[in-house]
Amino acid sequence: MSTTALRQTLTLCFPSDLGYIPAMRKFVADVLTAHNFSSRYIYRSEIIVDEVCHNAVMYGSKSIEAEIVLIMHLTEDTVEFFVQDEGGSARDVQQLKSAVEKPRLETMSPGDGKIGLEIVKMFAEELDFAVGEDNLTSVRIVRKRDISEAK
Amino acid sequence: MATNVQFALSDSSGCEGVTVVTISGELTSASIDEITAFFSSIVEDHPPYIIAEMSNVSSFSSSALGSFMGSRQRFVEREGDLVFAGLTLDLKSKLSLLGAHKIFQVFPDVRSALVAYTYEKKGHSQMVTLSFPSQLRYVPSIRQMISRIALQKGYSSRDAFRIETIVDEVCNNAVEHGAQSSEHNIDLSVGIDSKKIEIKVINLSNPEKIEALKELASTVSSEAVSDMANKRGRGLALIKMLSNDLTIDISNGGTSVHVVRRKGD
Repeated sequence: MSTTALRQTLTLCFPSDLGYIPAMRKFVADVLTAHNFSSRYIYRSEIIVDEVCHNAVMYGSKSIEAEIVLIMHLTEDTVEFFVQDEGGSARDVQQLKSAVEKPRLETMSPGDGKIGLEIVKMFAEELDFAVGEDNLTSVRIVRKRDISEAK
Repeated sequence: MATNVQFALSDSSGCEGVTVVTISGELTSASIDEITAFFSSIVEDHPPYIIAEMSNVSSFSSSALGSFMGSRQRFVEREGDLVFAGLTLDLKSKLSLLGAHKIFQVFPDVRSALVAYTYEKKGHSQMVTLSFPSQLRYVPSIRQMISRIALQKGYSSRDAFRIETIVDEVCNNAVEHGAQSSEHNIDLSVGIDSKKIEIKVINLSNPEKIEALKELASTVSSEAVSDMANKRGRGLALIKMLSNDLTIDISNGGTSVHVVRRKGD
């Protein structure tokens, strides 16, 4: 039986507060460690989660009660992250859209404020985003296990 | 002497007890009088928890900081505070060099300051929920995450360790004694406020173990911890010992364990 068919899902919901992010990124790292991903893979995933969750708190949350939802789908060789927030202003959503859709490795000017997502794009096989009902915004990131990576 | 500093009262998102003040311009020694005069004008008739929104402040001198410290004292005397939000990285690092971070709380934006206010001053609970597959390999990650959150929220390392032990025990029980189903995850919810933490774990019951679990749960609720030490259910005895309240509800549908632990007990 192929193990790639076994997909496990963890759904985490936490207050939109920067203070929670270190615990969340470490949690993701611990879960990936339990799935025997390499330390390089884990560290890069931590950076992705940190960056996307940070953006969700800073630009995707308006109310005091805002929450962030982080979903992890794990298979033997792939991890898919979903980060959902309540959605920021039209300007913030537009900025996110253009940052996500901009071609990878496009020349960046220092200080233009989107370097974080560029790093995410660099580390991820897939990155896209969607705006749902009630302005709920979700970012989806897919990472594949690199079998050449040393554990 | 007039300076280019401007003060404006802003919307506090309906948060009672809070005054949001947007400040812009250069905070220099020349603005000391204006800072003092502005805060004196609002100290009597505005809520005493002041969030100073500073994203449009371009400079901040040490003498101006002294003026903020004097004003802050007046709000503290009224059971309020004066905190900063939205400082640029430059100013934040300058204030840090001046040691201001030991006196003033600094937040990335007004919303973060409001979230902290409702948690610390109003005692609002914050909720973290997690749905995870019924597998033991996830439990260490979960216990550590909850411990880190407790520490971040101002709980002592002793409290955090005890909370971690409770989470570990309850989650292990849910995996080991609940139904093994790839379709049904275990649901953990953690409500945390400045005084207590509430942990709730819900899992699908294993039909073969329900009666034994019910018997165990009734023993836990009726016996003293010392009487349980030599019997089955030592894990539950440990949870009972480390918590202020333990409720177990077992039905054919699911098993729910609810634990309350007060800060510092």
